[in-house]
Amino acid sequence: MVTIDDLKDYASRLMFDMDSEGYERTLKEFETVEKHMALIGEIDGIEEIEPMTFPYEIYHASLRSDEAMDCLSVEDVLANSKEVENNQVKVPKVVDR
Amino acid sequence: MKTIMELRADLDNKKVTSEELFKEANKKAHEYQDEYNSFVTIIDEYKKNESDSLINGIPYSLKDNISTKGILTTSSSNILKDYIPVYDATVYKKLKNAGAVLVGKTVLDELAMGGTGTTANTGIVKNPWDKTRQIGGSSAGSAASVALGITPFSIASDTGDSIRKPAAFGGVVGFKPTYGRISRYGLFAFASSLDHVGCLTRCVEDCAIVTDILKGKDERDMTSLPDDGVKYHDMLKNDIKGKKLFYIKEITDKELYKDASEETKKVLDKFKETIDKCKELGFIVEEVSIDEKLLKAIYPSYMTISCAEATSNNSNLTGIIFGPRGEGNTINDIMFDARTKGFSELIKRRFILGSYILLKENQERLFKNAQRLRRIIVNKMNDLFKEYDAMILPTSGGVAPKFDSDIDRMSDRYLILENHMAIGNFGGYPSITIPNGFVDDMPIGINITGPQFMDGEVLNIAYKIEEHLGFKGLGKE
Repeated sequence: MVTIDDLKDYASRLMFDMDSEGYERTLKEFETVEKHMALIGEIDGIEEIEPMTFPYEIYHASLRSDEAMDCLSVEDVLANSKEVENNQVKVPKVVDR
Repeated sequence: MKTIMELRADLDNKKVTSEELFKEANKKAHEYQDEYNSFVTIIDEYKKNESDSLINGIPYSLKDNISTKGILTTSSSNILKDYIPVYDATVYKKLKNAGAVLVGKTVLDELAMGGTGTTANTGIVKNPWDKTRQIGGSSAGSAASVALGITPFSIASDTGDSIRKPAAFGGVVGFKPTYGRISRYGLFAFASSLDHVGCLTRCVEDCAIVTDILKGKDERDMTSLPDDGVKYHDMLKNDIKGKKLFYIKEITDKELYKDASEETKKVLDKFKETIDKCKELGFIVEEVSIDEKLLKAIYPSYMTISCAEATSNNSNLTGIIFGPRGEGNTINDIMFDARTKGFSELIKRRFILGSYILLKENQERLFKNAQRLRRIIVNKMNDLFKEYDAMILPTSGGVAPKFDSDIDRMSDRYLILENHMAIGNFGGYPSITIPNGFVDDMPIGINITGPQFMDGEVLNIAYKIEEHLGFKGLGKE
């Protein structure tokens, strides 16, 4: 059975937090989620089936010609960053020394 | 609101100029904004390229999860509330090259993850037919912009039914072609194996026109399909006599729904009337049966796959390179803070579900089982499509819901009738919603879904049914 602490762990793995009411609501929602998930498990012989990760099997591979495509300028890449220094995105120091 | 072809004739006959059409659309967009909230951004400057395409000079709107260089693109989320893209999505580039004129970027359920049109960071979108009701989502603003007659078409995305459901609730047409038919480059990914780009219009013919312009191989999207070399617009003249359609008994038989509401019964009766009309037209229509257990597992499988894929796709939203920057002393703290502040609770709940599904101990039981169910459904559908040209079903078990309505998420109606259109995304099938008249003065829709790669055939079938039903050009303005 999933607990609030479990939910906090799942959230922190994806790098965010919620207020306590949010976790309570999520916990309540999980009751339905678990019932929904059980519906998939009820299908006879489902474990025998190969999982499907793409809508169809046909693979339209094609080689691109070996030509440079246009790419973003440094200015464009940095345009939306809030902190920039020396043509790079600035973040706090990662290594102390 | 006129259709693309009617506007084309007006432009060609010099009855109106493109700039006049744009100004009218811009005026309506502003006038309706406070009332319905269709747009995140309304464009005030008339700007277009010259072209000889059918949409040259025609105004349109674009869902705000499609990248437009220099124009704010937020995906209706606070985590992108100030993001101005530095590149164009392929669809936007194609529309510009075809001379279409952008009127605005439309509101969606945050990050396209929702079906109500109520979760955007800029507020709820209201249904033009009844302001106390939802328009549905996630392409809420796109559906409203077409239903209100602001633009004759809108470009949007569909991962579960995000084009086709709001189209039904708004009384307009919504089409998503075969997976890969239209490039996804520049579409903010939700669930990559299910995401499609498509359109909302006032008639089937306009869907064919727009898809003809947008389709084709894109070197920037490795999943895009090579152009099939046909014009869907030309295929609308094809004869449909003897074409075979099927509907699924377990979805459409009102006797199977315990405690079905009067509204649901009316929707299903209306569907059966339309089946009779299809037979009058010359279609062969048959009922087929699919194990109810499979149908009930579609929605849980869709949620499992889409939430799992979404957690991965949205891991780039950190506030570091773009988006509002969080506070903190370390790079991790900054990202944590940005994501905590940037996502609404609904998105967080979906991400938590995705995180749970992807736990090592849950992958086999949840994620892989959902992918297995996907294969069972797609195999079943592919077998049926060997015998039939298309499937026809009601888009929903009711009219657009009231904002304060609630539905039992374990009910058959919710699990089967409200969520079956994800079949179209599981198999990447071409799938179109067209208006099917009214129940309690609100529009309802029918959905036609065909085999992979048979986009032109599906459009042709829908075109003939639309002609017979007589709701071409429906809208509420």
